Amino acid sequence: MSRLVSVAHIHLEDGAFSPEWVIIWSVVAGAMVALALLVLRKGKVTPRKLAIAAMCTSVGFAAFQVSIPIFGGIHLNLTPLIGILAGPALGSLSVLIINIFSASIGHGGWGMVGANTIVNMTEVLVAYYFYRLVRSKLDFNRFFSGLGAAIFALSVSALVIIGIVAVSGLQDSEQTKEEVLGNMLLIAAANIVAGVIEGVITGYVVSFISKIRPDLLSDAEGNGRQDPDTASEDIDAASD
Amino acid sequence: MSRRSYSKHIPDFRLVTHFGESGNSMIHSMSLWTKAGLLAIVVCLATVLIDPILISILYITCLAFYLAAKLPFKVLLGWYTLPAMFVFTLAIMFIFTEPGDEVIGVDLFGSHIQVTDNGIVLMYKLLIRALAVVTFSLALFMSSRYSHIAYLARRMMPRTLATVFLLSYRFLFVTSDEVTDVIDAIHSRNGGLIRGVSRQTRLFAGIFGLAFIHAFERAERIAKAMESRGFTGDMPVMEHAPRPSVAGVSVVTVGVVVLAISVYIRYFDSSMIWW
Repeated sequence: MSRLVSVAHIHLEDGAFSPEWVIIWSVVAGAMVALALLVLRKGKVTPRKLAIAAMCTSVGFAAFQVSIPIFGGIHLNLTPLIGILAGPALGSLSVLIINIFSASIGHGGWGMVGANTIVNMTEVLVAYYFYRLVRSKLDFNRFFSGLGAAIFALSVSALVIIGIVAVSGLQDSEQTKEEVLGNMLLIAAANIVAGVIEGVITGYVVSFISKIRPDLLSDAEGNGRQDPDTASEDIDAASD
Repeated sequence: MSRRSYSKHIPDFRLVTHFGESGNSMIHSMSLWTKAGLLAIVVCLATVLIDPILISILYITCLAFYLAAKLPFKVLLGWYTLPAMFVFTLAIMFIFTEPGDEVIGVDLFGSHIQVTDNGIVLMYKLLIRALAVVTFSLALFMSSRYSHIAYLARRMMPRTLATVFLLSYRFLFVTSDEVTDVIDAIHSRNGGLIRGVSRQTRLFAGIFGLAFIHAFERAERIAKAMESRGFTGDMPVMEHAPRPSVAGVSVVTVGVVVLAISVYIRYFDSSMIWW
């Protein structure tokens, strides 16, 4: 089934933006990715972290392809969840690769990889830090922390989408920036509604993961990464 | 060949890989460097060209490239649904509001809604550009071997990014099957996907939660296995992609010239388009 609504992603294909704006967004995205790589280079990137980032990427991409029959069909990004699980730096690389895979099959254009990466990296960063804040400082439970992080991240990214499209404009369109903004507000409103659904799913998934593998969330919760070998104690505790 | 795919409207990576590994057309024998160069040129042309006729010619050229690779046209038509839907969901807002002459209009709830000629042309151009790039992109991946793509990724990306990219590509097939397995399990227990929003949401949270847990556990097992075999974070590439042939370099050169002319027409002298 094809989808009618989509979440937090600029589903523009190649040629929608003028060459100048394609270059500008690609350079900005390139700088953000370079920063993520720099952060990773400073820390120690273990094979485990690399494998986890790769798995997050492949699950994220698989989730992209599943259409959920709500409101005529939506698909999830799971980028806020990727941010919470993989962290901001590896999560940023994950979303870049998801966008490259997606472009290869027409799920957004190649020229849009830059703009899409900016949007998705915003989701990853905002979700990670929001989740970390509400868990470590405000001590919210995991469901509401995940829910809040995803909704907030997707709402911010919806604004980023509006900003990018309103600033760039659609090439060939004679509409003014204000008219484009008006059109985009309707699309953004649909995205935010779908973002609430993704938020609920993220909240449930975070709760689910916390019961089975709480060590996977310890980084985002500011506890430091727990050794996976000791996770069995948490599993026993959760099952009690 | 794919065990199954989500939908005939979404490109199936297993099918793409199958064609890439088993095809024997002249496009398959072309160097991946040449095809990657041509893809970059097609993306640039789709962005630079603004005349509908020239955009149509670009699309026909990309389609000819796809067919020259002896790839199935019917499959491509199904896969067009995805980009076409994206163009439509965006253009539906603009087709009614684009300034221009009215083609069709109706009075609805006291206001006049009209479709303009410029709105239709805008949608046509967006659609044809999208289909041109998708056609060429799919032709590239469906006519290239994995080992060559891996080599190109390793050469063009920073080491960490290339490693995550190549690992993700390998994991993609397993995780896709796993997500599909869970969805199949729901179907097989007579649990159709049409439910209330709340139940639907919890159902899919379970699907994705399980997918992530399985993915992490598999990632940890793989990481341990890789470390025990001396993996230090660098994915080895065993086979090199062949260098472009003289003919390949010539084709890319012609493409660059066409792109340069298109840029000149767009920014300096649009009178070169006489129609």
